[in-house]
Amino acid sequence: MKPLSLRCLRPVIKKEFRQIRRDARSLMFMIFLPAFMLLMFGYALNFDVKHIPLAVVDEDSSRTSRDLVDKFRTTEYFDLKAVLGKTREIDPLMGREAIRAALVIPPQFSEDLLAGRSPSVQVIVDGSNAMSGTTAAGYVGAILQSYSQRITLEALERRGLAGFAVPLSQEVRIWYNPELRSARFLVPGLMAFILMVIVTVSTAFSVVREKERGTMDQIRLSSISPLELILGKVIPYVVISLASAHLVLLLGEILFGVGIRGSYPLLLLAMALFLTGALGQGILISAVTRTQQVAFLIAVLTTLLPTFILSGFVFPIRNMPAAVQAITYLVPGRYFLAALRGIILKGVGFGAVWPQFLLLVGFAALSLGASAARLRLGDEERPRRRRRVR
Amino acid sequence: MRAVLSIIWKEFVQLRRDPRLFPVIFISPVLQLLLLGYAANLDVRDIPSVVCDMDRSQASRGFVDGFANSGYFSIRARVERMEDIDRYLDNGKAAMAFVVPRGFGDKLAGGKQASVMIIADGAESQSATIGVNYATMIAGRYTQRVILDKFERIKASGVRPVLVDSEVRVWYNPELRSRNFMIPGVLGLILMIMTLSLASMGIVREKENGTMEQLIVTPIRPHQLIVGKLLPFVLIGLVEAAFVVAVAKWWFLIPVRGSVPLLFALSLAFMLNTLGIGLFISTISRTQQQAMFTTIFFIMPMILLGGFVFPIENMPRFFQLVSHAIPTRYFFVIIRGILLRGAGWPELWDQAAALLVLGAVLFFLSVLRFHKKLE
Amino acid sequence: MPEYAVEVKALTKKFGDFTAVDAVSFAVERGRIFGFLGANGAGKSTTIRMLCGLLDPTSGTASVGGFDIRRQPEKVKRVIGYMSQRFSLYEDLTVVENIRFFGGAYGLTRKALDARLPWLLSMAGLEGRERSLTRTLSVGWKQRLALGCAVLHEPRIVFLDEPTGGVDPASRRRFWELINELSESGVTVFVTTHYLDEAEYCNDIRLIHAGRIVAGGSPQELKTTVIRNPILEVSSDRVIDAMEVLQREPWVLETSIFGTSLHVSVGDEAEGRRLVRERLEGEGIAVLRVDRIMPSLEDVFIHKIEEHGGAAGAGEERP
Repeated sequence: MKPLSLRCLRPVIKKEFRQIRRDARSLMFMIFLPAFMLLMFGYALNFDVKHIPLAVVDEDSSRTSRDLVDKFRTTEYFDLKAVLGKTREIDPLMGREAIRAALVIPPQFSEDLLAGRSPSVQVIVDGSNAMSGTTAAGYVGAILQSYSQRITLEALERRGLAGFAVPLSQEVRIWYNPELRSARFLVPGLMAFILMVIVTVSTAFSVVREKERGTMDQIRLSSISPLELILGKVIPYVVISLASAHLVLLLGEILFGVGIRGSYPLLLLAMALFLTGALGQGILISAVTRTQQVAFLIAVLTTLLPTFILSGFVFPIRNMPAAVQAITYLVPGRYFLAALRGIILKGVGFGAVWPQFLLLVGFAALSLGASAARLRLGDEERPRRRRRVR
Repeated sequence: MRAVLSIIWKEFVQLRRDPRLFPVIFISPVLQLLLLGYAANLDVRDIPSVVCDMDRSQASRGFVDGFANSGYFSIRARVERMEDIDRYLDNGKAAMAFVVPRGFGDKLAGGKQASVMIIADGAESQSATIGVNYATMIAGRYTQRVILDKFERIKASGVRPVLVDSEVRVWYNPELRSRNFMIPGVLGLILMIMTLSLASMGIVREKENGTMEQLIVTPIRPHQLIVGKLLPFVLIGLVEAAFVVAVAKWWFLIPVRGSVPLLFALSLAFMLNTLGIGLFISTISRTQQQAMFTTIFFIMPMILLGGFVFPIENMPRFFQLVSHAIPTRYFFVIIRGILLRGAGWPELWDQAAALLVLGAVLFFLSVLRFHKKLE
Repeated sequence: MPEYAVEVKALTKKFGDFTAVDAVSFAVERGRIFGFLGANGAGKSTTIRMLCGLLDPTSGTASVGGFDIRRQPEKVKRVIGYMSQRFSLYEDLTVVENIRFFGGAYGLTRKALDARLPWLLSMAGLEGRERSLTRTLSVGWKQRLALGCAVLHEPRIVFLDEPTGGVDPASRRRFWELINELSESGVTVFVTTHYLDEAEYCNDIRLIHAGRIVAGGSPQELKTTVIRNPILEVSSDRVIDAMEVLQREPWVLETSIFGTSLHVSVGDEAEGRRLVRERLEGEGIAVLRVDRIMPSLEDVFIHKIEEHGGAAGAGEERP
């Protein structure tokens, strides 16, 4: 194998930079798109499940029942959309997703309460949105619980048994993210997601474009080795995407208070490794496709949804079946995100994240190596058998 | 008419001839669905937790058991000191910790207030929120039991403890399988990504190759050109949709309670939108690379702001307004409605209308931009 | 039937500050081969694109086949054929598929297409290669195929934009034979080229430089009327040295090297012959022959460009 020579590397790097610079719009996108996305989604997205649209069917219509309904009206967990008269009015509303939960207060409600019996209300939950379904049921339970407690305590007070304290108080402490602001959680995830997609997709074009335009042969005939070609193509993009990543970090710090608690050099290393791997993947895709269109589709399909769903960005990996968890190891975003969260949010050191680093190195080596091998083998037009058309 | 048919025929020939494009279009959506159907899971169970019981009384054990037996938490370790918790949370080996301080049991017995601590790993705020909710609920149940116990003893005073209970019924998805929620969403996403990308890249490709020039010089009218280029993608989209619904129904056993023809008809309305956006992108891009970036720029909001995973009603007002212009918002409701809720035209007509209006506007604007000129 | 197939009046195209085509005017007679000559970037392609309706002119008017290019572009497109510089064929389609597609695009019925197919295949020499992917064809074949696809609908006027770029000389010759055949059958052919030797095949030429027409007429006219001064062709074994010597002479008007000989433009033929031999042999440079020649189109072109104050071959780059 030909040893790496800087002399051959430089022209490739220069050419790639020049081509990038000439397409101003693409350059702007590469640098600013991730930051822009972070801005948009950092503000828009959170995991809070609140304001669940709710309808109440009050078959009791007493002061007590209205009291209970008020509890649901004022809480921020629910948005009381309608107070209905009959239960069969629920169906069409839920069918249209106008409401996602419904509360049915039975006619004997206040009567039962007064008599000291325990009434039961019916909670209907739209299971088609499983996330808010579970949570909604939970919220209802919690609200009813506190309502019950209050009623009982009032009754006790009336009997002069005041000073009856609630026996248990729970103090909830959230580590690393005290206000449980989703933004802090989302920022590393968004960063990994956006960078993966944009970086891979941009480089997926780089080799195919040359193939489509016919300049590939020229390069292959020169003394540039495949490895030099790859590195030469990758390096400009690494530089650009590092700039972009820093912009994202900066915005994350300024706007969302996501500061880096851990070591910055460590973070830089993680980013560089990840980006290199992603770029390698882009180039590999580029090397095995013939048209830009297909390269784009494959790049999008292998990065967008898989990174979104399998990297731990939104769905905890822990909950997935074992087979799928194994597959998540193929998604570099997964370890990058774990490393990011560790370094940025938890401030851990190398000792805690070295497995992630190892995997990142492995991924980078694999993707770059595969690309080099593929480029060396070449994609020549092997003389094909005349295909019978029709 | 002849011209349109020629273009459509040419697109299909080209499609079939590209050895990579064909499988990418038809096999990858199914692969994605298979993969994501299993992975996209919001059910939170068996959260790994650590218990730090410094009291070791019967009361504290009873308290901790409430968590262990709930099915929501999986106790991985029991530690003696609070400092030991760090080890587990830092590495991600545990996501929650429950701390019972010394004196817990005594305080309860003496009628005084006892306190416990619930610690959650906020770095995964999504499961943290849910975990904290569950934990609070379980702690609340324990509180309830303690109160009831107390009341048993003061029943003499004639006070009857009251408990408002709730009976929960889950509609449409009784086992609350989040897969049932996710997979319809994935269907929408795949359809959107495919048709949008094909439309935006397909037209720009001809511009880059120079064949667009040759087409413009023929008597083909702009609308013929557009229809000819886009119609194959509509067909492809429908076939993909059919594949995906089939996999969803027979492999994942997602219920299909509503009308499938209606689903396809509304998919057409949806594709009107995605193809319109793709067409628009092609009119503002000179090279395929530009088209690609612009396509991503449009795809991201369609995924993230459309209500797929992140509920729209939790977004700031501004974004809620913006989401009205995002076609996936309506389509997700439609798919979930038809598949899971058995919804039909009466329930979904407003979503369909929104899709049609939005699509018509998008398409109209794009066609306006699409002149038969080189500049 | 209009007398002129193409009539152009003060046609101008500006891209921002840059004027690519500057008020050109000309007329093309029916059935003739009309050549538009110029260096790269001179404005040839821009002009042809305006005439075909691909670009909107900034000002000026033109009519093609009797139809105004601004107000009736679609009617223009029906009566013209166009072949772009890049040949614009679908590389991933076979020969036959390309033909069928463009036929369909021009609205030919299946029957009409079937009737034209054999003619096209034989014209292009592609019999037996119908099923080949266009990508696998060599440049000469692609060129002829592209021409064929451009004339499927039997247009009255055909626009060819640098059709022989990158093609070997034999294929070039063959291509021009085809153009001649077309012209003989009554089709008006409008060609742009930067190969001056091809200009000889045209009936009528316009030289364009930096967006303006600098000369026009038939090749014969141009060669005899533009350059008044006699041109001597001097063959020598040390051409470059000879040129350096003669350039300094006051009686030499212009010199340029043509391969292994020197073209010297002088005031008087007899005097020139004598002085050339005298000066060169005086410097020890052997003179093999001195002949008077008719100026070539290249001479004409260079002369005209220098007259218009630009360096030969340097058109401004299009943005």
